[in-house]
Amino acid sequence: MPTFEKLPEEIRQFVGSEPLLGVRADLLHDGQFGDQWLTVTESDVSVWLPDGSRVLRLTVETIDDARAVGGIGGGTLIADTQDGPVVILRYTASLASVFNYAAKLIGALAKGEERPAASKNDFPRLCPKCANPLPEDSQSCPICKNNKKVILRMLGYAKPYKPQMIGAAALLILTTLVELIPPYLTKVLLDDVLQPKTMGSTLLWVVVGLAVTSVVLSAMQTVRGLIGVWVGSRLMGDLRKDIYSSLMRLSLAFFDRRQTSQFIGRVNSDSEAMRQFMTDGIIWVAGESLRVVAIFAIMFNLDWRLTMLALLPVPVMIVVSMTVWPMIGRRWYQQWRSIFRLNVLVGDSLQGIRVVKAFGREGTEMGRYEDANREVVRHNIRIEGMWQGLFPLFSFVAGIGTLLIWYYGGWSVLRGEITIGVLMALITYLGMLLGPLQWVSQMINWASHALAAADRVFEIMDTPSEVPDSANPVPVGRVRGEVRFRNITYGYEKHHPVLKNVSLDVAAGEMIGLVGHSGAGKSTFINLICRFYDPDEGIITIDGTDLRTIAQTDLRSQIGVVLQETFLFDGTIAENIAYSKPDATPLEIMRAAKIANAHDFIVRLPDGYDTRVGERGHRLSGGEKQRVSIARAIIHDPRILILDEATASVDTETERQIQEAIARLVKGRTTFAIAHRLSTLRNADRLVVLDHGRIAEIGTHEELLAQEGVYFKLVEAQKELSKIKGVEG
Amino acid sequence: MNDPYDIRVLQPESISLSRGAGGVMQGVVDGKPYSELIVFRTFPFLYTTQYLSIRDAKGEELGIVADLEELDAESRDVLRQELRFRYFLPRVTRVDSVKQKTDLWIWELQTDLGPTRLAMRNLHDHMQFPGGSRIILTDLTGKRCEIQDWKKLDGHSRKQLNDVI
Ligand SMILES: Nc1ncnc2c1ncn2[C@@H]1O[C@H](COP(=O)(O)OP(=O)(O)OP(=O)(O)O)[C@@H](O)[C@H]1O
Ligand SMILES: [Mg+2]
Repeated sequence: MPTFEKLPEEIRQFVGSEPLLGVRADLLHDGQFGDQWLTVTESDVSVWLPDGSRVLRLTVETIDDARAVGGIGGGTLIADTQDGPVVILRYTASLASVFNYAAKLIGALAKGEERPAASKNDFPRLCPKCANPLPEDSQSCPICKNNKKVILRMLGYAKPYKPQMIGAAALLILTTLVELIPPYLTKVLLDDVLQPKTMGSTLLWVVVGLAVTSVVLSAMQTVRGLIGVWVGSRLMGDLRKDIYSSLMRLSLAFFDRRQTSQFIGRVNSDSEAMRQFMTDGIIWVAGESLRVVAIFAIMFNLDWRLTMLALLPVPVMIVVSMTVWPMIGRRWYQQWRSIFRLNVLVGDSLQGIRVVKAFGREGTEMGRYEDANREVVRHNIRIEGMWQGLFPLFSFVAGIGTLLIWYYGGWSVLRGEITIGVLMALITYLGMLLGPLQWVSQMINWASHALAAADRVFEIMDTPSEVPDSANPVPVGRVRGEVRFRNITYGYEKHHPVLKNVSLDVAAGEMIGLVGHSGAGKSTFINLICRFYDPDEGIITIDGTDLRTIAQTDLRSQIGVVLQETFLFDGTIAENIAYSKPDATPLEIMRAAKIANAHDFIVRLPDGYDTRVGERGHRLSGGEKQRVSIARAIIHDPRILILDEATASVDTETERQIQEAIARLVKGRTTFAIAHRLSTLRNADRLVVLDHGRIAEIGTHEELLAQEGVYFKLVEAQKELSKIKGVEG
Repeated sequence: MNDPYDIRVLQPESISLSRGAGGVMQGVVDGKPYSELIVFRTFPFLYTTQYLSIRDAKGEELGIVADLEELDAESRDVLRQELRFRYFLPRVTRVDSVKQKTDLWIWELQTDLGPTRLAMRNLHDHMQFPGGSRIILTDLTGKRCEIQDWKKLDGHSRKQLNDVI
């Protein structure tokens, strides 16, 4: 019996025969949160409360079929019985896959069909802590596990610069020690020179000593600063590179769910925060801790009782720091999120600036920006204000220690227990000690800022690609181009399938035309061939090899795609065409352009193939862009060619020319072409009609017309339309 | 005859809904009985009880109910309950705590459908602000909860929320 949670004994004892299925649902009949159990046996379907009382029982004979009806955020398992549909139970979205399976099982029992086997995906093992699905054959949850060692991981980036960092650290130790000399010299000056009013020659030496220390200090600080800048810039470069390559590695599904413009700011600002902490922050902490220890030692030597007195406020400062730390962290995050929203807004409206202008909505956009901007200002004041309040507080508390020393130290001097020099030295050292302690608040600021940034950065780095490359990819060499879909089900949202149980065999070299209503799943179909997404169920093979076992670079080098949304990169036309084959010769580029019927218009441009397109430079018309992307798709001589509405924006005459050229090219290549203009597909060997995610019909144009099914209707509708317009379809 | 290119608004008297023996919503629309009816919110965020699309079991739209309040008492209750079932979006009545544990944000919530817990990897991808003081929370598994007006929650909840919004 497949389970992923054990059926409670209270229920088990009543079920009778060994149940085929026993699963928990997380909603009660009235829609409240609560547990119910579903059991399915050969003879009946029952729902139980955890205490063993039965809420519902249906015998299998009365059931015709069962289905899991997905709602929003949850779903309902419904049995169709002779007396109409019956709600078996309800569940939240987290359990949808389980009940999809339950529906299949009950349906199969009712119809006396072969029972479906439960696959691993139907019974997700959930992480007990975050309730996320655990990866197959692994107990540790990838989402919960890492990040504990954010700091260590962050420091890992400093590793390649070990020698420099060690150098900086050594200099740091030296400067710290040297810095401690002047107060001591002052003490000597006061006690041994100025007070006895003798030894004028020593005065010179002491002053010379002071001068030398300050020269050495400046020199060492400069060198240290330079090392810091060098290492810092390098570190930042490394970080940015890593973030960017993680982004490139992520699958399309990741970007589908997020606005892409957010990443522009994230790459830069987050890596800067991390860099600041690692170079300035770490060195600073190390240096100051060292200094604190050294000063302690010296102060204790000078007068331990006064030192203890002066340190009374320190615990208070530590406690305050500890309590404000988390608060500051959260406020930084808030501040970050408001900036993030602002960035997304700017990115979006600038990308769509044409639409904004076309509808004259500049005012609205400004208003939206204004709102988001106000938020940023508010959060800025909140966090900076908090910090401004904290800083004087720390100074004040620290100042108390100094006051105490002045008072009790002064008494000691008056009583002749210590010399003025010792008192002055103590006070100077205390100042040096409390200085860094006051800056603890600044450090808290930095650290929490950096940790939050690191969290977000590592989150991107740790997100597994949803289409992982297999560990031992099968070398496929040059494929023949035989594509096979086996019972493919896929949905962008897991439980809202867009393709349902699609099976198709495509012989090498065949040209398949995909037709169907808008939203039928045509683009989704080819997205799966390109492996932008992995199917939820079923497998796709190329030449008999599972797509998932082929290295993605290998796969894509054999596929040429023209996507429905044409996108050209910022660069010249030649660079864009040669995108998939950077070493293409000018002749090859022109040949590809010629096939795509783009050569002539490109040559007529003043800058020819060197015309800049994309963000800056010359803009192409919709049809011109499409032709450039067709050239881009064919230049690397792919074995499988995918054309998603590749000629939708060009006139029929140009389309005919492109088609003829492609027809020559297509020979011996597997081609998938999608078109709404059905005449585009006249060369197709077979047409596949998709309807609401299922294959409705397969056959040649003539066969499908004879069937008078979905395709027939589409053709009729187009004929109708072209009659109205007075043009041929 | 009805214009197939226009939105059909169902008059309150032309629709009556009830719950069938099996627990499924059924009813009579324009004098025609249906053993199963499905309701869609057309504006799930903005109008929760207005502009409801009533569809048959196959998903064909029969018409739009402009406002749930206009229906007769039984239909109203049935429809309201069906909306609750289909749009599983518990309303938060109290925020017990929002904690950040290592790298997860854990929300302990009281909702009108009972207590629940949400886990989020971060806040910026999982909190939506559709406007006003509404917040939609989505957790890692896709489970969602709604805070209708965070300014109207009790002091304790507001304090919990203060640092995250
Ligand atoms: N990235 C995505 N995330 C979520 N849903 C998507 C995504 N892309 C497409 N869909 C949905 O999947 C369904 C099928 O989309 P698809 O792009 O495959 O349609 P199509 O047949 O290519 O339509 P068209 O002819 O308009 O291009 C649609 O309902 C669409 O809303
Ligand atoms: Mg498409």
